[in-house]
Amino acid sequence: MFRMLLWKEWQENRWKLLFCGAASVVFTVMLFRIRIVPDFSNCMLISLVQMFVVPVVYALDIFSGEVSNRTIHLLFKIPVPRWMLFFSKYLVSVAGIVLIFVLSGVLMELLAHGREMRVLFLFKTNLLCGAAGFFLFTWFCVFGCQSRSEAGSLGAMFGVFVGWGIAFFWATVCEVGWAAPFAPYSLIQLAEGGAVGTIFLQSLVSVGVLCLACYRYVSIRRYL
Amino acid sequence: MRVQRIIHQQICQLRWHLLACLGLIMVLPIEEAAVNMHAGAGFHSIGMAVAAIMFSPLLAGLIACANVQGDLSEKRYIFWRSKPANVKKLMALKFSVGLIVSLAIIACPIMFAVVSSALCGRDLDDPPVKYYVPVPVMVAVMTYSLCFGCNVIVRKTARSWLLGILLAGFVLVVPFMLPLGFTDIVSDIGLWALGFYPATVFAISIIAFVFALYAAQHDWHLKTNLRGLLWAGTGLVFLLLMLFSSQVANVRVLNEKEIESHWRPYSLDKVEGKPIFQGRSYVNLDDSNISLERFMDERHPAIVDRVSRRKGDTYCQPYPRAGGVYKKAGDDLYALVIHSYWRHIEKTNVYENVYLRSYKLTSGSWKQASELDLSDCLKEGPLRTAMRLFDNTLVVCIRNSLVVLDVTNPGELKQIDKKVKVLGGSWSLEYEDRKKEIAVPLVPIDNISMEERIRLSIDLMYRFNYSDNDIYESSIVDVQDGKFAFFSVSGRDLARFDVIRWDRENIYCRFGTSRPFTILESLSGQWYEEYGTLVEDGKLYCRRRNTLLVFDVRSGRRIRKLGHFVRMDCHIDDMGILDDSNILLSARWYVSSGEGRSREQKKFLYLLKNPE
Repeated sequence: MFRMLLWKEWQENRWKLLFCGAASVVFTVMLFRIRIVPDFSNCMLISLVQMFVVPVVYALDIFSGEVSNRTIHLLFKIPVPRWMLFFSKYLVSVAGIVLIFVLSGVLMELLAHGREMRVLFLFKTNLLCGAAGFFLFTWFCVFGCQSRSEAGSLGAMFGVFVGWGIAFFWATVCEVGWAAPFAPYSLIQLAEGGAVGTIFLQSLVSVGVLCLACYRYVSIRRYL
Repeated sequence: MRVQRIIHQQICQLRWHLLACLGLIMVLPIEEAAVNMHAGAGFHSIGMAVAAIMFSPLLAGLIACANVQGDLSEKRYIFWRSKPANVKKLMALKFSVGLIVSLAIIACPIMFAVVSSALCGRDLDDPPVKYYVPVPVMVAVMTYSLCFGCNVIVRKTARSWLLGILLAGFVLVVPFMLPLGFTDIVSDIGLWALGFYPATVFAISIIAFVFALYAAQHDWHLKTNLRGLLWAGTGLVFLLLMLFSSQVANVRVLNEKEIESHWRPYSLDKVEGKPIFQGRSYVNLDDSNISLERFMDERHPAIVDRVSRRKGDTYCQPYPRAGGVYKKAGDDLYALVIHSYWRHIEKTNVYENVYLRSYKLTSGSWKQASELDLSDCLKEGPLRTAMRLFDNTLVVCIRNSLVVLDVTNPGELKQIDKKVKVLGGSWSLEYEDRKKEIAVPLVPIDNISMEERIRLSIDLMYRFNYSDNDIYESSIVDVQDGKFAFFSVSGRDLARFDVIRWDRENIYCRFGTSRPFTILESLSGQWYEEYGTLVEDGKLYCRRRNTLLVFDVRSGRRIRKLGHFVRMDCHIDDMGILDDSNILLSARWYVSSGEGRSREQKKFLYLLKNPE
């Protein structure tokens, strides 16, 4: 049954993969061919934009779409536990985010091959931004899984962006060493090394966050 | 209609949004103030307050959407339309209340910065506050109007907000691309100069507002879906990028090659159409492949290294500063250089000797072949030197004097003519010069053609300055069908002056036309220096720091940009136009390779397709 749910979500969200993938490919090729700024700056620019835009595109209607389309009551009547519904949505979104970042990372490496950057450095930088986007999306699930409109989802996603931005700013400016690794944004600057520990830490936190999000989704009472 | 009640209703409707936006906009300034207090600098915030104001257009858009969304849902809309309510008046009231609320929110971080800084005794006349605050406030008003208009027609908060923000971005970026004569963000775009840009912003605000009133009056409703909006938005961004790239990146790079060299400078010269790099290697370009063919032994100094060193308390200044004037005689390669020797006495530079020397390339090193003492051209005052080679005739200019030499055999320099005190000062073209006829003194040399005399006269008039010049390798004069024109590049525009007639003593010129720079072109650097500008075959090439611009300047047509090449973090050292009309650039690039945080300097040769 879970496979059927995954298939449904995949069908519903395939356009997002297509949209983000196409936009990512077009803009990566364009910027790396124009090459007004060095390859690393291009990579950072594209990765940072992707880090914010791709989770937003997935977050906009992944949960609230069922409410606005008035299909949530049908979904909840399917004889499967609600956590399965939640995870089917979550996994398809995460798979899409990962695919888009892998695609753009590979493309950057191909386009910058033989130029000034060390091999696989751009790929790694892009992937770390993708990891940050993935953790931000996970945090969004806690606040956005009960949203009933696109505006609510957008608000929740921006709340996560701004909230972690403030935390990261505080940790950096006040030099609070222990707090910085908890912020997803800290991954962006770890391409030189030290990313594994931070990813492990954030993965642990994400598991807890995901459980909370799942609990909130399961406990939805009013849905129409 | 009871206005007061409607205002009250609006404020009640917006109270939660007001609080949320206040929280968002104030959190960073308060955090900065707390950090400052923790550091013992007092509870004040300036930097983050300014940063928060930069994001105020996003919040203004949010208020606009929240302001009107509630009244546009199907049932509510029918309800208030069924009352004898004046739709336009109601919408105008809602618009005004929302706008005032938005401005109040934006004012909070400003007030916080002003009050907290005053209490802590900090300087309030900080440039960022003065210059950077008015622009986002103005943009916020436009974003508010656009989001309001979008919400009236789209009737979905998130979608209309995204659409409004996207449209605002589009409106803000498009003027950058158009040749409207903007040169400086602060002076041209800031609130202080009421130019086109602020006018556009206000005009768009008013248009969006009027549109919203009509849309509400006639119940216009655009049904949208998320997918379509996202594709349309991305298309718009792509369009902007295409516009951007067509403006700033339309010169095709045929090839680029990293050069392993620790020698400086990275000069490009030519001998019989073949490029020479650093005075040490020929640049071979076979099928766009770049390779260097070294003709000098690595152990021997290049022509520039040889002459620019110091002997005791006497300094030597070469001309050309980077490279030399190269000439082939049979199979032998010669370099011609002017050496000026000076000493520093009582805070002034005293020039003592000037020599013109020819060097011959022998067994991989430069050996002096001939020398001509031109010290009698030296008088008091700062030195300026220039020279230009016309086939076998070399014209050397030192201060106000001219020396003509026969260099058929550069190994034996023969002086043909010398004219002392015949050159005037170096002039720069002012805006006033465009309103009158200009007379340029014609150089009194009979050994070269009239065309070359006119070229040299104009170059000496406007480029023969006291620092350095490119007279030995380039000209700012264009000749098309017997008509002469020359060009002046200022910070604001590129101007053409046409030669209207000449007599035995003067060349008479008049302003023809000009082409203003766009903001994107101006951002690349200061354009007023004549150094790095050259005209060849009806095209003008402007080279500064990290940018190369190519213009079509053929007489009788308007000046039209053909190409724009930019490499940020790059420094273009020299350029040359090849016989096949392609462009060769030598450049240094400061890049991070991903190893450590250090930035490494790399040297590149770029082969560019000359834009048509």
